[in-house]
Formats: sequence, C-alpha cells, structure tokens
Amino acid sequence: MQIKLVLKEAKRVGFLTFCLLFSFSVLVFAKEARPSKVEIRKYNDSRYRLLVNRRDYAIKGVCYNPVPIGEGYDYDFFNDPRKPWLVDGALMKQAGINTIRLYQPSDDTEAVKELISDLYNKFGIRTILGNWLGFWNYPGPCYGDEEFCQCVKEEVLEMVRTYKDEPGILFWVLGNENNYTFDGRIRPWSTEEIDELESPMEQKHERAKLYYSFVNQLAKEIKEIDPNHPVCLGNGELIGLEVANEVCPDIDMVGVIVYRGKTFGNMFKGVKNYFDRPIVFIEFGADSYDAYLDKEDQGMQSFFLEAQWVEIYKNMFRSKEGEGNCLGGFIFEWTDEWWKHNEYNVQAWSEHDTTSNWSNGAYYFDIKAKNNKNMNEEWFGIVGIKQSETEGDLDQRIPKKSYYVLREFWKNPAKRIREIKNEKKNMRR
Amino acid sequence: MKKIASFTVVALLGLFLSTQLFAQEVKPFNVYTDKNSSDNHFAPSGWMGDFGDLRLDDQNTDNPYSGGTAIKITYSGKRSQNQGWAGIFWQNPPNNWGSKKGGFDLTGLNKLTFMAKGENGAEAISKIKVGGIKGQYADTAEVEIGPIELTSEWQEYSVNLVDEDLSYISGGFAFVVNADLNPDGAVIYLDDIKFVNDPTLKAEAKSSEKLPFYVYSDSSSIGNHFIPSGWMGDFGDIKLKINCEENPYLGKTCVKINYSAEATQGARWAGMFWQNPPNNWGDIDGGYDLSNATALTFWARGEKGGERIEEFKVGGIMGRYSDSDTAMIGPVVLTNEWKQYSIDLKGKDMSYIMGGFAWATNMDVNPEGAVFYIDEIVFE
Repeated sequence: MQIKLVLKEAKRVGFLTFCLLFSFSVLVFAKEARPSKVEIRKYNDSRYRLLVNRRDYAIKGVCYNPVPIGEGYDYDFFNDPRKPWLVDGALMKQAGINTIRLYQPSDDTEAVKELISDLYNKFGIRTILGNWLGFWNYPGPCYGDEEFCQCVKEEVLEMVRTYKDEPGILFWVLGNENNYTFDGRIRPWSTEEIDELESPMEQKHERAKLYYSFVNQLAKEIKEIDPNHPVCLGNGELIGLEVANEVCPDIDMVGVIVYRGKTFGNMFKGVKNYFDRPIVFIEFGADSYDAYLDKEDQGMQSFFLEAQWVEIYKNMFRSKEGEGNCLGGFIFEWTDEWWKHNEYNVQAWSEHDTTSNWSNGAYYFDIKAKNNKNMNEEWFGIVGIKQSETEGDLDQRIPKKSYYVLREFWKNPAKRIREIKNEKKNMRR
Repeated sequence: MKKIASFTVVALLGLFLSTQLFAQEVKPFNVYTDKNSSDNHFAPSGWMGDFGDLRLDDQNTDNPYSGGTAIKITYSGKRSQNQGWAGIFWQNPPNNWGSKKGGFDLTGLNKLTFMAKGENGAEAISKIKVGGIKGQYADTAEVEIGPIELTSEWQEYSVNLVDEDLSYISGGFAFVVNADLNPDGAVIYLDDIKFVNDPTLKAEAKSSEKLPFYVYSDSSSIGNHFIPSGWMGDFGDIKLKINCEENPYLGKTCVKINYSAEATQGARWAGMFWQNPPNNWGDIDGGYDLSNATALTFWARGEKGGERIEEFKVGGIMGRYSDSDTAMIGPVVLTNEWKQYSIDLKGKDMSYIMGGFAWATNMDVNPEGAVFYIDEIVFE
C-alpha cells in the first residue's frame, strides 16, 4: 500500500516537473524569439544608463570587418561559407566582448540574420547595425536633394524592418563621419540656396542643419517601426553637435569616432554641453606598429587601448568619478585588415603593409617617424591574422597583447583602475 | 647604576648626533659664483640660435653682485644666423649635447636661484632653463621659466624644481633671449647661479591665469605667451613676419603671413600653431591654465580681401601631454579691413593649453596664395 502511494506520489511529482520544465522551455524559447527591449534612462546631472531587458549593459565592443589575407574592400564576409564569425565569436566571448559593430549589412538579408543570430545565440554577443547614409554613393551624397534623401531613407527603414525582431540587435547607427562633409573637404555637397550664402561659415552651418534634420527624420520614422531599439547618431568627434542639438530631438545617443591617443580629454563634458545625450565610442583605438622604429609593437597598442577603456569606465553611470554619460565603446577593430594601405593594388592585399598612411600626434611613441606619419592602417586589429597552412581554411587568429590586456581589464575594471592609480602613485614616489 | 648611566650617555650621544645630522644643511651646488671659483660646475659652452649675436664676458668686474666678477652678456639682436633668438647652455662636460656622459646627481636640491639685472632696465630674458639636454645621455628633468623683464638693479630670480627628477643634469643652466623682445639688443648681467635646497618650497601648482592673457599683442611685448613655432603642412609655403609695421590694428606691429600655395611639401595645405613652450607638440609639460577665459578674440584682415582661412583654432595639440580641449571657427573669408573675430570658449575645458592659437588654410581655396594679417590675439 505504502509502495503504491510512493509510486503515485513520484508520478505526480514527475508530471509536475515535466510541466514546469516544459513551461520554462516555452518561456525561454519565446524570450529568444523576441527582440530585446533596449532602453536609455536619464538621471540627475545628465547621467545615463543603457538597459537591455531591464538590465544594465556596458558595451564592450569591437568593429567587425574580418577581411581575410588576399581579399579587399569588396569581400562579403556574410556570405563566406567558412562563417568566420563562429571562430571570432568564440574568441570574443573568451575576452569578454559582448557587442560588435557592423558598419552596414550586406544585401543578403538571410546571411546577415544568420550572423547576428549565431553570435547572439551561441556566444551572447549583440550587434549594432549601421548605415552610411549614402556617404559613399556615386557621385556623392547630397542631403539637400529630396530624391537622394528618399532613396537613403527607404534603405534605412528597410534595414530596420528586416532586422528589428532579431534578438541580437542592440541599436541602430545613422551615419559615420558624414559631418566632415559640411566644410566641403571630403565628399562635398551643397544646394543652390546654400551656395548663395556669402559666408562659408553660414554655408557650413546650413549644411549641418540640413543633414542633422534629415537624420532626425530618419530616427523619428525608425521609432514608428521599432520601439525597442534606440537610435544613435554617428559623428566624427563632436564637430557639428551644437547644430544637431537644435534639430535632433529624436536621437537617443551620440556615437563618436575618435582617435585621441591615451585620453578622450574633455569629450564627456563636451557632449553634455553641446548635445546632452549618452555617448558611445563607435570607433576608437590604436595601431600596433611602431612607424618610427619600423617594427611591430603590441605593447604600444595595449597601452593606449587600456588607457582609453579606463576613461570609458570612469565615465560610465556606475562610476563615482567622471560624467556618468558613457555607455561603452567599440574598438577599431577586431582583426587586422591587410588590404587597407593601398586598396587599388590587389597584389598588396596579401602583404601586411608597414607604410604609414596618416599622422596623429596623440599616438606619440612613434610620432618621430618620417614626415610624422605614424598611423598604420593595416595594424589596428586586437587580433592578428596569419595564412592558414591548409588551403581554403580561415586565416589563423592570433590574439595580440591588447586582447589579453583587455580580457583582464574587463574581468574587473574597478580593480584594474585602482591598480593603475597605485602604479602611477608609486611612479611619482 | 653604572649600566643605566652609560646607557643614558650613549642615548644622549646618539640623539645629539642624529640632531646634528638632520640639522646639517644641504650645501648649495654652484653653476657660477666667480670666474676663478673652483666650485663652478658647468661651463657656458652651449651656444644656440643666433650665436653670432652674443658676446660673453664671464669675468666682468663692473659691478658684480658678490665676489669679484659677474657674467656680462651682450646681445645685438641682429639675427646673425637668421634665427631671431640666441642662448647659452652651461654644460657638463663642456660642449655636451647629450652624447657624452657627465652631469651631476642633484637630488636633494629643489631650487635654482640666480641674480640678474639689465644695463638700462626693461631688457627681457625670454627663457631660463634647467636641464632639457636630449640625446643618449639625456637630462632627467627639463624646467623653464620666462619671459623675465629685468630692472637695472640686481634682483634674485628662481626656478622651482620641487618634485623634479634631478638625478642626472648635464645642462645646469641656460638663458635665451630673442630679437622680438629685444629689437635693439640688450646687455644683461648674471651672478651667483646655484642650486639650493629650500625646505619651505612646495611644488608649483598651476594656477589659473589672469585675463586678458595675450597670445600676441606687439612683437616686442613681454606679455606674449605663445610662440608661432608650430609650422604645419606645406611649411615652405609660409613666410611669417611677426613685427610687421604695415598698418597694425593696435600698437607698433602686427603679424603678417604670406602663404604662397606652392605645395612645397606636397601637402596642399599649411598652418601654424602658437605654442608654449616653442615647438611643443605635446612632448613637454608646458602650457597655461586659462580656465577663466570665455573667448579668444583676435583681429584679422586680408591684403586684398577674399582670402579664405579654413580654421582659426585654440588648443587641440595632442601628445604625451594634450591640450585639455579645442575650439575653432571657420572657414572665414577675410576682408581688407581689420575685423575682430571671436572663438567661443564657454563650456570648454581650458585648464591646460599649449596651443594658444592656430590658423590653417589650403591651396584649393586660395589657389593664388594669400597674404593676411593678424593682431591682438588675446584670451578674455
């Protein structure tokens, strides 16, 4: 009798357990299929938090464009049957990276979705998706031209409609360094009305106004389609943001592209003054080649990157020091790109070029290089690449010193920041 | 009892000795006291800039501050080597620009003092420097002060060296004069140059500068705080005259810039930074705290009108030390009449500024080149 009772009880418990597990898995499955709810909350003193499904989210990101050795600007990694993101995702996860930046998705939407969902489901890595807003269109952008703007708008809204339900999406980025077109030095554009203005400063201001108004219109329409993901304005430095402040009420955050060496300087305060939104560094970093000594220097790169991350963390919401308005950043970049020095020389795509392309005194270790050209475009990865011994295989991934330094940093940023402070104190003694 | 007495004696003796040791003063370390003093540790061997403009008499007996001799420096301001400035480094070993081992460990000393006067008063030393010799055997510190306007009476001046690493100093003392501050030359006397220990001295905290604070007012003004030393891009396309007397906005002189747009260096653009100290691209801890400033204003005109300057700028130098912020206006099309321009600094962090002012333009917007004038550049 007792045995019967026990068996009956066991069956009941088993059934209940089964029901619970089933409900739980349904819930989990349902959660996976839903887009994440990504919000920005504002607090006193213009401090900001990024919340993903109501949880704090510090963006530890990388710009992702894994061009293999021998390939160039036209390589479509989304359609690479070797799926490089599976190897990269595992390595990123080990380092603590939780987000990637894709500058613009390819036309093959299914391939893009596969990448986004693979990274999210297998490694918990989210994606921010951007659009160049016609910056590279031929013959050039013109934000005063209705037809051009309509064309760009359709493309952007289509991107949002296509990917908004992907659980791995974190937010949208509109533009990159399009603000550098305002003074006509790159990708110049204008309108008849602007050209009639006498002062070039006024012309510049009007271009900025046209452009940022257009971006705001995009943001507004994105939100009608997708209430779950914030919209970020991509901007070179803080240039032009005082104009954006007049015409961009629908922009949720500013994503800046900055190369300022070991410190971002007054950037966090500056944003508060000119465009009070949270700031995320959508592109920043350092190269690992010493152009002066003409040799690789991974220590130099890790020195700058760690210093930059220290400032990012000091200015996040949780930090007691700093401005509390930083959401994180995206290091430029994940892997080295061997095609970049001379994009038109296909043969050079197979060589890791050591010629410097540009000068930046903020990266001062090698600024005494010839003509002060110290920035090596092909050496910005925190992971190096090497041709695989087996033909057709993915290039080998060789993490650089920065990879390991950042992996340690992200394990406990507060502790590492304290250590660095103590190291500085001891040096002064 | 005997034991207690002897212990007390030993203890008292120990106390006495340690008191004596602590009380012992750190001896001064002389650069120059008298010509024939065996205690002079550096030689005036490092002649710089327009060295042909300088005459040095280090056994002048006219009116020394102490002892039998002083140093008399006669500067003609004739720009013999076309540099516009001249100076002398007191070195050890002599003629050492960092290739020879020498120098001294001056740890424990925290101030350099010297006596100085001008023959007539109002002579200007643009810079006094301790350390800063580079090369294989580089000095461990580099500190400078200036400009200093002298009087006709002996006065003591000092360089604060607290918290500086003085463990290897081969350039003990340097003075620099320039032709802009001394257009008619100058006769300067120096005496009793020495490193001392001042226990009351504290590290010099940078305090916010009082306004107005000039980048440039007149070429010979001691109130100029930055030097137009940072030539950029096609620097060969630039001719600079900082004592131009052609219709200045105010005072005797203005700055005249002639940009030829020849792309001499192939850059197709050119520009210039006013820096502190000169040639500082962020590798020297220099600059000023201009936190009180809310604007930088300046006057500018083009020779013909229509000259286009892409940007006028404050700050933005980045290096080991970086300007704390940057602000700019532009593009600006100049008229042929003086016009005042203003760079808004409200909300900017001006606490550390090495690049006080800059301009930049290019050949696309000035295909025939441009001649333009700037005057009264001032933080307000």
